[in-house]
This record gives sequence, structure tokens and C-alpha cells, in this order.
Amino acid sequence: MMIKVPPYLRKGDTVAVVCPAGYMPLQKAQTCIDVLKEWGYNVKTGKTLESSSQNYFSGTDDERLDDFQQMLDDDEVKAILCARGGYGISRIVDRIRFKKFRQHPKWIIGFSDVTVLHCHIYSNYKVSTLHAPMASAFNDEGYTNEFVLSLKNVLTGNKIKYEYAVNALNKKGEAAGELIGGNLSLLVHLMGTASDIKTKGKILFLEDVGEYLYHIDRMFVQLKRSGKLEKLAGLIIGGFSEMKDTERPFGKSVYEIISDSVKEFDYPICFGFPVSHGKENYALKTGTRYKLMVGKNKVALEE
Amino acid sequence: MNRKNFLSSVLTFGAVVPFSKYIDEEGGSSKPLIVPEYLKPGDIIGITCPAGYITLQEIQSAMQQVENWGFKIRIGDTVGKRDFTFGGTDEERIKDFQQMLDDDSIRAIMCARGGYGSVHIIDALKFRKFVLKPKWIIGFSDITVIHSHLSRNFNIASVHSKMCNSFPDDWAKAEQVQIDSILSIKQSLTGEKMKYLFPGNANNKTGITEGQLVGGNLKTIESLSGTKSDIETDGKILFVEDTGEYLYSIDRMFWNLKRTGKLSNLKALIIGGFKIKPDDAGEEFGKTLYEIILEKVQGLNYPVCFDFPVGHQKENYALKCGIRHRLNVTTDKCSLIEL
Repeated sequence: MMIKVPPYLRKGDTVAVVCPAGYMPLQKAQTCIDVLKEWGYNVKTGKTLESSSQNYFSGTDDERLDDFQQMLDDDEVKAILCARGGYGISRIVDRIRFKKFRQHPKWIIGFSDVTVLHCHIYSNYKVSTLHAPMASAFNDEGYTNEFVLSLKNVLTGNKIKYEYAVNALNKKGEAAGELIGGNLSLLVHLMGTASDIKTKGKILFLEDVGEYLYHIDRMFVQLKRSGKLEKLAGLIIGGFSEMKDTERPFGKSVYEIISDSVKEFDYPICFGFPVSHGKENYALKTGTRYKLMVGKNKVALEE
Repeated sequence: MNRKNFLSSVLTFGAVVPFSKYIDEEGGSSKPLIVPEYLKPGDIIGITCPAGYITLQEIQSAMQQVENWGFKIRIGDTVGKRDFTFGGTDEERIKDFQQMLDDDSIRAIMCARGGYGSVHIIDALKFRKFVLKPKWIIGFSDITVIHSHLSRNFNIASVHSKMCNSFPDDWAKAEQVQIDSILSIKQSLTGEKMKYLFPGNANNKTGITEGQLVGGNLKTIESLSGTKSDIETDGKILFVEDTGEYLYSIDRMFWNLKRTGKLSNLKALIIGGFKIKPDDAGEEFGKTLYEIILEKVQGLNYPVCFDFPVGHQKENYALKCGIRHRLNVTTDKCSLIEL
């Protein structure tokens, strides 16, 4: 089944901003909203942005579900930008109705917890989504950097071509395939569920934040034992930031852990790709085909 | 996969009959349950480190106690070995565990401690001989990998209990619950029928049920999802415990259980100790552990009991995984009785 690519955005199109997971005050999303308008889009904010919630979530499950569902079914809305991740989409994903979305796909934008939507939509509906910076990335002049601008670039339909530096642990080679992936912790959390992804022949990209090194190791063992690493076309390792270690040190750096767990595979692997919880986070269309070139002097990912 | 098929064909020919007893299942696993022989005085218990490292000094207290019970001890090569956090390299841990699995004179294998690392060696272990002449595997926490793997692939009973690192240095100064927890290991290994009475909880969902016991550490169970050690829970009594996790993380793990169908066809759910990591300021989760769990089993008609004495705590009684138990849950008091 061919991947369905939602229509790219034109000036005057409407972008919805919602919070399907953690709480976010409007003020923290204001720059994002303003910049989206500067880019020429209308912005429709959902009720879950600065909701009345007093806890972690940006509203009850029902409130978050209703808000997202409304934007999903609203013909006027051409893209839904999740203002932040955090945690919470797992709680509502099985209740989201994608019937209308399947027929009239639109861009779902975000990363981290939004990995649940990327995987769920890819596996069940084969619609391309956008793994990209969210609202807070626009703050503190962030909207001028190439990573936030890459979101605009993709939304307007320009082809993706990213080039970046090599890493000593890279495994050289070329690969072609559909690109899928996201946050490692979420990816393994989805294993065995209706949102689980198949990775055979695909280029898989992964990033994570704030995990213990042994957790990263265990998650890679899980990916491997479930057969998700052996038949990849290529592997892209993004940022693994703010890693923690146990009292008894694990004894390897995070990239060494990853490199060791895929050493028997001969597909190309690159480390340090700018996809992460930090500033360096290029927009990536999931589900569409790319060429990955891991060379001696540079790495390139091209649609 | 081939190994699995090979084993199931061996089992249907009944090659294991002389060494173990069969118990008929009512649903759940298609393979007959294999119960290792219980231990007699003079039997040998091997001590090995499939996961984290431990020093010889740290197992002295456990050795002494186990010898007092009348068993002999075989210390594995991995005791005292260290490769950073692990009790030796993967190869060393595999070799040590394999040797204990294959050595007929060893009647039980006690894992010295948990930590992390069993999942690194589980696929390299050969259970061919072990399946024909099974022995008790003892441990919890990271050892959940082994319990789940044995249950899923071979339907062999094992003991979920404290390990060497939990034996008190000074037996005289230890709390009674700690002593009782450790004595329950001996009782379970020598074939005593286990019977646990424990207080009720106002949040319990009451009822009486019977089924095979499966479970262990929740995080470890989640990390086995989608692998060939993935826990099978249909028609069983599932127990879970965890430590040091945020509420949101516990919630997410229960969603994994729910979304993978592991809560749909249980006979009962037993919630052990959950040491919860406090929410960060401004990130208050807003739901209690009770709410997190009860919402996942809403509409499901089986008993659920909280505060069962199993987990990363002093009260951590031996549970025979795979064996059928009767669970009686009220809000007032509860019991888990081996059948």
C-alpha cells in the first residue's frame, strides 16, 4: 500500500494547535502561533491549549480526545500541530476515529509522545505525518533557526534534503526506503499493541532523552529480540540527550551501546543526526521514501 | 522458533515424565505444566549472576542460611566477577548459567541478585537438557526475564523470591517479615504448599478465583513485549510490582499491558509493592496508583487486590510461578493458597 501524503499547505490554510498530552500554558505557545501566522497560515487553537486542568495533563482524556477529534474532522484544518508532548496520547489513541482523516488526510505534527500518533497512523492508515519541532522550539528566537524553518519548508511541499557531519561510529553505505521512527521509549512502549510498527526494509530513526544508559541498552535489546533491527534498510540515530547512569557505571557511552547492539548488521548507520529533544531537530516526513547516504565526509538524507 | 517446535514435539512424546509431574490446564498455555522436583536435604543449589555483579563477601549470609537449611551450595564462576554493572561479560554469564542448567547435580539455581542483564543472555541459553530434567530457578526483578521466558516457552514452574543480596547479615536483628520472606524460599523449594494471608484494601475488587500464577517486575514485563519471552497471561493470575517509577510511567506501562491484551482475559490481578518516584514540581500526575490500575480493569470482571507482599521491599514472599493458586479477595482480608 502506497503512503498517502496529505496536501501541502498554501497561504491562508488553517493550522490547528492542540495539546493531546501534557499541559501547556498559552503563553508558551504564543510565539509559535504568531510565527505560524507570519508564515501565512490561519491558526485555530484548541481548548486543550491552556486548559483548565490542574494536573499533568492538558485536560481529561475525554477533553483531549474531543479537541483532537474535532480538529481531525474539521475540513478547514489542514495541519494539526501538537504544542507539546510529555505523556498522554497512549491513553486516547484507541478512541481516536480516523475515518474522515483517512479519506482527507492532513498533517499531524510533533515528536516525543507524538511518536504514538506517528506509529499508529503509519501502521494502520499509511498516511505520512510530520516528526518535527513543537511550540516551545519557536521560543527564544528559535523560529529563526534552520530546524524550526525546516518545518515550514516541509509544510509548503519542498523536498527534504539534509546534510550533516560524520561520526566515528557510523557504518558507511547507501540505503533507500520509507522513513519511520521517533522516540525510542515510546516505540518500545507500543510493541505488541495496535500501534506497533513493522520495520523491515525501512530506514528507522530514533532519539531519546533523560533515560538511564541501561534502559537504552534494554530497549535496543527489545527492538532486536522482536526482530525490528535485523532487516532495516538503514538506521539513523539522533540525539540521546541528558542520559543518566547508575551508581555502578554502565561502562559505555550511549552511542557505544547502540553501535554494539547493531554491530552484526551491515546496513548503513549514522549517529548524531539532528533529530532530538534539543534544538537540533529537523522536520522529517514519516512514511515517505528517502535515500540515506552515510559517507566518509558527510551524511545525507534526501527525499 | 525451531527450538520451540523441537521441544514441543519432545514434550508430546512424554520424554519428561520420569522427572516431573504433569498438571492439566484449563486454557492458557497449550503445553502441560512442568514442575521441577522439590529439594531434599543435601541437594545442591547453584548461585550465579545472570545480571548485576555481586562479591563473594555479599553472598556469605545467604550461603550460611541456605546451608543451615540442609542444602549444599555451588558457587558459580560469575560470583565475584564484574564487567562494569554486570556480573561478568555476557559470555561469562551465559557459560556459568548454562553450566548450572546442564549440571544434573544442581537441583536449583538461585540468582545472586537482579539489577540488569538477564535479557542479554536469555537467547543464548540452551534449555534442551533443562526441559528434560527441570530444576528450580529462583529470583525476581530482572530475573522476571527468565520466569517469563520459561513460562512462555516451556511452561516450567519457577520461584519468584528474594535473592542472595536480600539475606540479612545479622539474622538476629532482622525484622520478622524479612525472615519470613526468606524462609518462604525454603518452604517453596521443599514442596510445602504455600499459603499467604494478607490484609485487604478498600480499593480491592473482591472475588474468588483459581489459576496459574505469572508475573514479576512490571517494567521488565513491558520490556519483553513483542519478544519471544513475552508473558502470556490468558486465564492466569497476574502479579506485578515495581520500584522507582514515576506515576506517569506506571500508567504508561499499564497501558502497554492493556493495549497488548494482557489484562483482557485474566483470572485475577495482584498488585504488589510499588515504590513510586514522586512527581516533579509542576508535573503532578493527578491520579493515584489505585486510580491508574482500576481504570485499566474497568468493565473486566475479575478480582484485583492491592498491597500483596511481593516486590522490592522487606515483605517479599516466595511465589511459585506457573503453579495453580486460589486467590480470595475481599476489602478486609485476602488469601493466596497454592492448590
